[in-house]
Amino acid sequence: MKMRKILCLILALVMVASMAACGSDSKQPADSEAASGESAAPSGDEGSASADLSSIKVGAIVNVVKGDGGWCQAQYEGLTTAMKNLGMDVDSQLIFLENIAEEQSSVQAAVDQLVNEGCNIIFGASTGYAPILSELAPSYPDVKFAQAGDKVDNIVGYQIRDYEAMFLCGYTMGLLSDSDQMGYSAGMSEASVRRGINAFALGAKAARENATVQVMWANSWYDIAAETECANTLINMGIKYIGINASSPAIPEACQAAGVYCTGYHMDIKERAPKSVVTSFIWNWAPIMEDIITKCAEGTLSTDDYYFWGSDKDCAKIAPINTDIVSDQTVIDKVAEMQDKITKGEYQVFAGELKDNKGNVLVNEGEVMSDQDILSQMFLVENVIGEW
Amino acid sequence: MSLLTSILASTISVAVIMLYATIGEIISQRAGIMNLGLEGIMLMGAVSAYFTVVHTHSLALAILTVIVVGALLGLIYAFITVTLQANQVVAGLAMMTFGSGLSGFIGNSITGVAANLKFESLPIPLLSKIPVIGKIFFSQNLLVYILYVIVAIVIVYIYKTRPGMTLRALGENPGALDAVGINVFALRYAYCIVGTILVAMGGAYMSIAYSNSWQEGMTGGYGWIAAALVVFSAWNPAMAVVGSVLFGFISIIGNYMQAYFPFIPVKFVAMLPYIFTIIVLILTTGNFRKKHTEAPAALCVPYDRESR
Repeated sequence: MKMRKILCLILALVMVASMAACGSDSKQPADSEAASGESAAPSGDEGSASADLSSIKVGAIVNVVKGDGGWCQAQYEGLTTAMKNLGMDVDSQLIFLENIAEEQSSVQAAVDQLVNEGCNIIFGASTGYAPILSELAPSYPDVKFAQAGDKVDNIVGYQIRDYEAMFLCGYTMGLLSDSDQMGYSAGMSEASVRRGINAFALGAKAARENATVQVMWANSWYDIAAETECANTLINMGIKYIGINASSPAIPEACQAAGVYCTGYHMDIKERAPKSVVTSFIWNWAPIMEDIITKCAEGTLSTDDYYFWGSDKDCAKIAPINTDIVSDQTVIDKVAEMQDKITKGEYQVFAGELKDNKGNVLVNEGEVMSDQDILSQMFLVENVIGEW
Repeated sequence: MSLLTSILASTISVAVIMLYATIGEIISQRAGIMNLGLEGIMLMGAVSAYFTVVHTHSLALAILTVIVVGALLGLIYAFITVTLQANQVVAGLAMMTFGSGLSGFIGNSITGVAANLKFESLPIPLLSKIPVIGKIFFSQNLLVYILYVIVAIVIVYIYKTRPGMTLRALGENPGALDAVGINVFALRYAYCIVGTILVAMGGAYMSIAYSNSWQEGMTGGYGWIAAALVVFSAWNPAMAVVGSVLFGFISIIGNYMQAYFPFIPVKFVAMLPYIFTIIVLILTTGNFRKKHTEAPAALCVPYDRESR
């Protein structure tokens, strides 16, 4: 009888664990970046822009750590670069809180802490904070909020035209590939991820007329086992060129072990798999953050502002192509040429005629997709194999 | 054929994650100690292995660290459950939260840091040339081969040796062992520590062999699946092998279904391992099953000489 109870308990625990596995829990005490340099030293000179900036204190919250080798690191580097460019002192003027879970009470506590420390602007640097900050913002009228990802009410939004750089990743792989079949390992089905897949596929198509891209979903944002097996699945299907939208280094490692090629995501991850990573998609948030902080200091920042900057502002970038893999200079030149066209606005990634993989026409010949549709894409383009 | 071989080779490499933990837990439960903290212990194993590799660039030192960390955790757990006679379910859950929390704390500084050093695959000279089987079983890395040996030893030890019989008795009737002059407490300490070391090795396998990185919570539920596999296997290491291979297969087959059966929704495919867990547990532990699957009789019962 007692045994039966224990078995029931184990069963219940297994179910609880399967639920717990879905939610990310981070309950580490956040170490605040600037705990030591508390006094912001507001200096007296007025008039010049730099004088205004010296009294500005910047706060930011992320759900992982600033050195995660992925999204949060890009956000952190964007912020610090922007502040250095503006002549601000990162040590005393930035409070960067890590491991803040994307749920109400944690965010509320973090925001209270930042406001008490005197922050004038708070960056919600992980996308999951959007609904929470949108609700919290009105109760802090003296503080501005900026949120990465989609635009929500009451706060400034910022996003990068990531598809421009992802297109170049696909274009590069298309130029290199000796087969029409390419692969893409994706995290979870979300508009930004679908945008990446579509841009990669269109890039591949621009290089190879008949290129197709097989999508493989890991159904997770960070699961080393699932991502490794996604990569292995694509490799076992005979695919040699793989695009990535995943934060862990699992896929580049699996690619290197199998001798196939991939692109990196978030930052230049060449050193993680020097024999496999051809180039990497890079977020450069600094220009956007520079503008947000400046406008905040000037008092001209509006909660209706939405930043959607691309390669024209140097925000969407790719890493230098790995010359140990690509020996052909014409490939590098072609990619640079394409990058130039996109930067100048001569080439539009989502331009007509564009069909989805169910045969529906998305954009008519001669037209360009609206920003709204680009942001919320509910489709996979024609040469993508897979569902979302 | 080659696709199937590749799928099965991947299956083995995933199964090993669970099998280390399952074998460790079987040893511990055979001795009468249930440790539900597998997930936390695996995470501690994973973080200590990766931390050592990042800072010393030595795989041997990493394994040594994992053994020490595993032994320490086992010692703590044995002290709590054997000496202090605490409730093992609660203590196990505490171990789980303790391990996941502490590993996250230790791992903060190495998150996203590249070690670029792991157990690379190491095909065994002659055996790996055998068609099909060679690719599946003998083109893995060193930690996988070590597990093959451990599993063989554990099976023989439990069923064919005298100390193995003592181990089984430890979980069934510790009073009888005590009556013939065997130190029940010392043995329970020893088996708890050995079991915990194996569980920690499962985590280390994940961070320095299967992949080469650390991320908070990276074991992603494998510890819990291992806890379920112990019940599934009816405390038999040979069945644990079958169970973990089966689970490994289920967890990777979903990817191939995405590619070859695109009409099945992706979200449904992602549910498969969990649905499978429930079905298997019902089938193996339900009342209608005739075969003897009783847990060790003294499992979860602290041994107390006074109340013998």
